Amino acid sequence: MQLTVIPERCSGCKICELACSIGRENVNNPKKSRMRVMVLYPHPVIRMPIVCRQCGVPKCGEGCPTHAIYRENGIVRLDEEKCISCNQCITSCPFGAMFLHDDIDLPLKCDLCDGKPFCVEACPKEALKFHPKHILGQAHRLSTARNYAKMSKVEYLDGGQKKIIRYAREKVKKDED
Amino acid sequence: MKIKGGYFFRILDVDLTRGESSVRPFDEAFALQYIGGRGFGARILADHIRKSRKRIDPLGPDNVLVIAPGPLTGTYLPAAGKNSFVTLSPATGIYGDSSMGGVFGVELRQAGYDAVVLRGRAHELSALTIEDDRIKIIPLPEARGMNTLEAESLVREVTGDEDMKIASIGVAGENGAVFSCVNADWSRNAGRIGIGAVMGSKNIKAIAVRGSKDLPVADLKSLVKMAREGYDELKAHEFFRFWQQQGLMSVVDYANTMGILPTRNFQETVFDRADKMNGYTMEERYKIGDSACFGCSMSCGNICLVKEGKYRGTVTEGPEYESAAMLGSNLGASNFAYILKANALCDELGLDTISTGSIVGAVIEGLEKQILSPDDLGGLTLEWGDEEGILSLIEKIARRQGVGGILAGGAREILNRWPGLAGIICHVKGLEQSAYDARGAISMALGYGTSDIGAHHTRAWTVATELENGMEWGLEEKADFVIYHQTVRPLFDMLGVCRLPWIELGFPEEYYQRYYHAVTGVDRPLSELMECSNHIYDLTRAINVRLGISRKDDFPPSRTFDDPVPSGPTRGSVVDRDEYERILEMYYRKRGWDSDGRPPVEL
Repeated sequence: MQLTVIPERCSGCKICELACSIGRENVNNPKKSRMRVMVLYPHPVIRMPIVCRQCGVPKCGEGCPTHAIYRENGIVRLDEEKCISCNQCITSCPFGAMFLHDDIDLPLKCDLCDGKPFCVEACPKEALKFHPKHILGQAHRLSTARNYAKMSKVEYLDGGQKKIIRYAREKVKKDED
Repeated sequence: MKIKGGYFFRILDVDLTRGESSVRPFDEAFALQYIGGRGFGARILADHIRKSRKRIDPLGPDNVLVIAPGPLTGTYLPAAGKNSFVTLSPATGIYGDSSMGGVFGVELRQAGYDAVVLRGRAHELSALTIEDDRIKIIPLPEARGMNTLEAESLVREVTGDEDMKIASIGVAGENGAVFSCVNADWSRNAGRIGIGAVMGSKNIKAIAVRGSKDLPVADLKSLVKMAREGYDELKAHEFFRFWQQQGLMSVVDYANTMGILPTRNFQETVFDRADKMNGYTMEERYKIGDSACFGCSMSCGNICLVKEGKYRGTVTEGPEYESAAMLGSNLGASNFAYILKANALCDELGLDTISTGSIVGAVIEGLEKQILSPDDLGGLTLEWGDEEGILSLIEKIARRQGVGGILAGGAREILNRWPGLAGIICHVKGLEQSAYDARGAISMALGYGTSDIGAHHTRAWTVATELENGMEWGLEEKADFVIYHQTVRPLFDMLGVCRLPWIELGFPEEYYQRYYHAVTGVDRPLSELMECSNHIYDLTRAINVRLGISRKDDFPPSRTFDDPVPSGPTRGSVVDRDEYERILEMYYRKRGWDSDGRPPVEL
């Protein structure tokens, strides 16, 4: 399963941060969430939740001197026993998706909430998605096929309503075939 | 201790003249009585006025500016991102407040304060930074003349922190324009009554905040349960999706249909080109994204970009209804791209869109009726819908160039200079009227007349209900309805929540009693919270009475009585002066004020 972001839908409301901090730290404090909504304006205009992607090659772990970061069943985890709070992982993550807070000794690391991320559940804009990996890219594949420019079409009547069927088929057989 | 959450019991007091700050506590009784936000602000301001021997100049160092979120601000509850700015208004000379959404108030709470009080005046133009317990006044003379967004960028650069939440003023605030605003999070403004000028008079260009603290909540578990139910209820509402799409811009069509859309300086109430500037036009041609205040699923903010034509490249979060109406139909302009440009310009210069639209409208009508001549205005000519002329006048106001210097003084100064405009400038107590015509609904006229800050709609927005359901009501019922609004709405400003889930998507008031209970741990009946709110209304009235306000000031703009609506569904409507005198008398009696409007409360 993959946590993905659709920034085009995000309103910047930070309800995800609240849900994360309450669900994971049991406090109403968005600064203790394991994600962060970035709101940029007036140029460029974007609102984007930064979340951990549970990378196959976790860059956060590469510089870890105690090998406290490990990957297990597709989730990148922090071994709290091994962690020495040197914060190398925070700056190593290319997405900035690990976080620190003065009240908490260890880095804050997303582990997808036992498979039911609080942030996804709380998002009112469906800007956060938690999908099986085979779904990733599906929307784009579908729209690429649907928008294929060279399709032919046939108009027909369905109960008096005009409808269209579009289909892809070669019109002229080419010589090289 | 009864209270188990909702407060840090800390007020940050910054003396800008001395460059010192201190934190003072308050007790439980204070929190129970005044709740927070506007309540805290009113009490602190009242105490300040009471102790002051001489009359306070709103733009002098003796004025105080209180910034106060509420006990619910920043919690997981729906739409709890509000924050009040309270001060003596330079526009009206009396009590003033304006609330701001966005994230700024939440950050202030997370820094561990229930209120911040600014006093005195910094020696030079500066930024105030609040990072939890670290308070700094950073001289920032290079920020002079910067617009709000430039000032924000500069503060990020100087502090080296991209993540600070910043409230800033534009040129208009620096120049003391009495309807200048404070801007944060791109387009969230404490818009009304001239808070920007008060900040400018204190030499504070920007306030930057970073907070890290847990917000105290008495019963987090029950808060989360109620919040989830609340969010689900909003989502299930039939208008939720539409609200996300259009937000307050949907009101343009509504106001035009009902005959309350300000058109050509409130002369007319229907605009024949309203469809060019409504929510659908925005959605189809300009909207590029949604934006929301902290913790709000309704995302009524619309991010709009002009993609073609002479305003190409104009991008802003907005407009919302008031801005579109006051800068659009009220100025006879319907080009939505121009409205976006004017809205963005006001945000950047730091001007309140409502007062700006009102004053520019009065100038155009004054010229049209030859009460003003181009010579009075330094050669200025201006007509309805003259986009370039309007934009250039807005700049002049903010920069106090030429006639802009007088216009920046707001309704009171303009009337001093040109008394002939008395029937034209729509204001109460010196504050220009919001974008709802009141001639068809006497309750709205009473709401404007008795609002404690002047002609603003947030205290009592009764016009829709009266026009839709209240035509059969007697005056007593209408007066009651105004008081009911003036009680509930300010309560939201005290709690630090937005009123839109209530007024637009049907949240009952009782929810807020439960929310307050979950956050503070104090189980009080709603009626008791309403009493607290009413007490603040008495208190702000007592402040105003002390500053010279009496019955004579509680009347809506004279146009409401004198000029019948010329066309549309409210055609012929006008408020009868005798009837208004009667409803005002009833209103005083119901509030327990004497017949000159004096409340039974001492400062």
